[in-house]
Amino acid sequence: MKLPQGAKSELTFVGSLFALGLLVFWDTARSEIPAFNLTVSPKVFPFGIALVLMTLCAILFIRILRGDIATPEGLEPGDPIDKSDYKTFSIVLASLFAYLLLIERAGFVVAALVTFFGITVAFGNKRHGRSIFFGAIFILLIYISFTKFLHVSLPAGILKGIL
Amino acid sequence: MSSFNSLLDGFASALSISNLGFGLLGTFLGTLVGVLPGIGPALAIALLLPITYTVSPASALIMFAAIYYGAMYGGSTTSILLNTPGESGSVMTALEGNKMARNGRAGAALATAAIGSFVAGTIATAILAFTAPSIADLAIKVGAADYVALMLLAFTTVSSLLGSSQIRGFISLAVGLVLGLVGADLQSGLARLTFGNQAAIEGIETVPVIVAIFALGEALYIASRFKEEGWRILPMKGKALMSREDWKRSWMPWLRGTAIGFPLGVIPAGGSEVPTFLSYAVEKNLTKHPEEFGHGAIEGVAGPEAANNANAAGALVPLLALGLPTSATAAVILVAFQTYQIQPGPTLFLTNGALIWTLIASLFIGNTLLLVLNLPLVRLWVQLLKVPRPYLFAGIVIFALLGSYALNTSTFDVQVAIAIGVVGFLFRRYGMPITPLILGLILGPNLELQFRRALQISAGDYGTLYATPLSKVLYIVLFVVILGPTLWGLRKKIANRKGHVTK
Repeated sequence: MKLPQGAKSELTFVGSLFALGLLVFWDTARSEIPAFNLTVSPKVFPFGIALVLMTLCAILFIRILRGDIATPEGLEPGDPIDKSDYKTFSIVLASLFAYLLLIERAGFVVAALVTFFGITVAFGNKRHGRSIFFGAIFILLIYISFTKFLHVSLPAGILKGIL
Repeated sequence: MSSFNSLLDGFASALSISNLGFGLLGTFLGTLVGVLPGIGPALAIALLLPITYTVSPASALIMFAAIYYGAMYGGSTTSILLNTPGESGSVMTALEGNKMARNGRAGAALATAAIGSFVAGTIATAILAFTAPSIADLAIKVGAADYVALMLLAFTTVSSLLGSSQIRGFISLAVGLVLGLVGADLQSGLARLTFGNQAAIEGIETVPVIVAIFALGEALYIASRFKEEGWRILPMKGKALMSREDWKRSWMPWLRGTAIGFPLGVIPAGGSEVPTFLSYAVEKNLTKHPEEFGHGAIEGVAGPEAANNANAAGALVPLLALGLPTSATAAVILVAFQTYQIQPGPTLFLTNGALIWTLIASLFIGNTLLLVLNLPLVRLWVQLLKVPRPYLFAGIVIFALLGSYALNTSTFDVQVAIAIGVVGFLFRRYGMPITPLILGLILGPNLELQFRRALQISAGDYGTLYATPLSKVLYIVLFVVILGPTLWGLRKKIANRKGHVTK
């Protein structure tokens, strides 16, 4: 059977959502209910949701095999689906992780600047000096207005004492 | 009469210097963020949530009201000048509005959108002010079982009316419900889906999920597909003014749009997609200039824009009176309330009456501020669109990450945000709508609570779930919504087959 373009990856996606349902089911089944007398056990909802999710995924799986493949956002049904550019995708994702790793170690300003720079690179900006310059101004403005005027606490990190 | 007096008190409180300042700031920021392409009101409010973490509830809500309307104004500007609607509600505006801009009539299109939104917003807020309290009075009699039915209906309509594929909508909802399960169960303390993670016991915060699924998901998606494409801003000639002819052709569509938008906001009809579409269809049928439709008819901008704003105000009725959000934007506002430990619902007018009347008064004020500010400032907003895309996306991502971290100053929320960002990417790639997921996450725990409450009252008898007349009616509507599209499709298929036979 010849599957339409893009169907294989969508089957993987729907399959992993099915697996999510299985995970919920398994986690619920193995947990022990505290000795309470409850009218509705805390397991009812998780079991229900897991079953619904798995059923729906199974139905969609069959439909995809029959040719009902998804239309990616921003495209019209029937448009050719290009392969995702995983290189730029990875740069964005790495920039997000950089923020996660740096926020408490190096502080908000440094973490945000690294992320800012990474994302401008992913979106095809070539003038790196400029993006660091404008990014730094933007982030310092945010940092000062949030910490000084709105009293939202953001970690100063390694720039403590300077800011 | 008492409503009127409370409203006057609300105005008195909303017009204090500091509150007015927050209102102004909100309109400014709301428009600023709303103008950015791809950002609808839901994301605009979610991104600006951190700003309100430390201000008083009244000031924060005033700011939200202003951001809410501001983001919608901003969104219509982008639809008209860029043809990139930020959310489903402005798709119809883009259709005719962008054509008008191409014909050099951008000024008139922007003006009819702004004035129409003002007219619709003002009328709809007035109806809200005088109906919400009586609906809340009725809502006190709504029992736990009715709430279960109401929520199920809201789930169903939002999942099946949005997007092109019913089943994908329901899967999105189910994933949202799974996210809502994470954490300690409220009644028994049982830790669900935490896998030993201490931070997860508190549950998944809604703010990181919302900003991540919109902002991070969009950044990942655009980066992987459309990063090369720029956008072309249509030039705006002259001022944002309407001719006498434009006024004559606009005022009826404004009123009709309001009449369509408001009631469809009150009932859970799945957000602003349906009312704006209906308004467009109505105007297309009633117009005296049918030849202009598809080439820039002003009625096609005036009607849907009014419907969109009236719909947004209508959605506040179930939100305030029942605590039931019916659109992504309403869901975000619910989260904003909850940040202040305020639970919208029937008792809200009793417990936080002064606050709510201040909010309603500030909706009027925000709406007026916008009209006064935006028409003269529209050129300034247009300049904003000239920011290069890499900077724009970088800025949005920074704001999203800031909001996720600052909520509890916790890296767990940032981890959740990144994971949800990837989910947002996958949902876009595989054509799954996002609103059902958000509704599932926010309403799922609530549904479980009411479900258990209903069964506790009935001592475990499941018949109680459909015992009241209201719940019976709601379940019938629910089945129609689920089966309707399928039956409709079958009928078409049969008709097609017959057509083939006769040929």
